[in-house]
Amino acid sequence: MAEITGIYTASHTPVMLNFPDRIPATLKDEIFGAYKAMGDDFMAGKPDALVVLSNDHLHNFFLDNFPAYCIGCAESYESPIEHWLHAKRRTFAGDQAFGSYLLQSALEADFDPSFSMEMVLDHGSLTPLELAGVDPDLPIVPVLINCVQPPMPTMRRSYNLGRFLGHAIAEYDAVDRVAILATGGISHDIATPRMGMVNEEFDETFLGHMESGDIDATIQYATDFVHTAGNGCEEIRMWMAAMGAAKGAAFERTYYKAVNDWYTGIGIGRFKVS
Amino acid sequence: MANWQEMMPSTRAYLMNKVLYELHHKPDHLEAYNQDADAYLTRFDLPQDLATSIKSNDVAGMYLSGVNPYLLRAHCIGVKIPEDESLAALRSLLDHEDYNDG
Ligand SMILES: [Fe+2]
Repeated sequence: MAEITGIYTASHTPVMLNFPDRIPATLKDEIFGAYKAMGDDFMAGKPDALVVLSNDHLHNFFLDNFPAYCIGCAESYESPIEHWLHAKRRTFAGDQAFGSYLLQSALEADFDPSFSMEMVLDHGSLTPLELAGVDPDLPIVPVLINCVQPPMPTMRRSYNLGRFLGHAIAEYDAVDRVAILATGGISHDIATPRMGMVNEEFDETFLGHMESGDIDATIQYATDFVHTAGNGCEEIRMWMAAMGAAKGAAFERTYYKAVNDWYTGIGIGRFKVS
Repeated sequence: MANWQEMMPSTRAYLMNKVLYELHHKPDHLEAYNQDADAYLTRFDLPQDLATSIKSNDVAGMYLSGVNPYLLRAHCIGVKIPEDESLAALRSLLDHEDYNDG
């Protein structure tokens, strides 16, 4: 029986690595400090493995075959896949047995994820882990959700997938302590006319719903208003999944700022699972 | 405006997606493109106006093709179109009256 040591949510953007100096140094330091604080909290839980809820940005997957959900079952994952990303190459250890267990359990629970035994992780997984300073040798299982190419799975389905993951992780015997990191969102537009116009009102309302603990209201708001907050905001499917895995535990935001010059509403939070 | 131009990609958008995807993921493709963009683009069955928009770094034109925005974004960074130029081209398409109401 594995214990979930922490469930975290955090935005990601390649801009924070590629063009960090488009914002004032003090703000950049403040944001990087917030990621580091999340990482310290994360590592204090002494996890043995990490489930990363993230999304592929059309690097591993293309429109010839695009999975709604994909569970990584590789022994290791290189990163980054973007030739243009300003990040040093690294190899994450994978937990193949754990990934395989989650895959088979998902199928038995009537979810139909695809699986991958060879993926090169992109900035969506790499950036928050890098900034948080998470132990690079911590074995990971990536769970990827399509948030980048319509048609996409619903917010509620993503919440339900997270609920499944929370239960399946708890029933897994081969690892004692597991942390979950959900990355993406909040409001942002990628390569649209709205790029750089963060919808702060959406983000505040969304975070308010998350903190209220009203799960149905949160899912409904995400479903009904995501179109006002940018294509990048579709990534709050990972926040839905984290909320599902948290089994009703309270959510608190630990950082939020609408950063127009990074094109992103930078939000960080955690569920009080322990 | 909505988050997406096409809720299911058209074939036209698919072709653009394919070029911008292969350009940045297949070995040696970026180098071939940088050496001779015209020759590279003839490998694809792309309508001429779309080939021209790629070759001339016409960010607004590429956007309007319906191309996936993540592929467009990666392309802009990958071929080093100046960041402020990309932003300005995209912003020029904004209808301020409806930017946040879907
Ligand atoms: Fe993303």
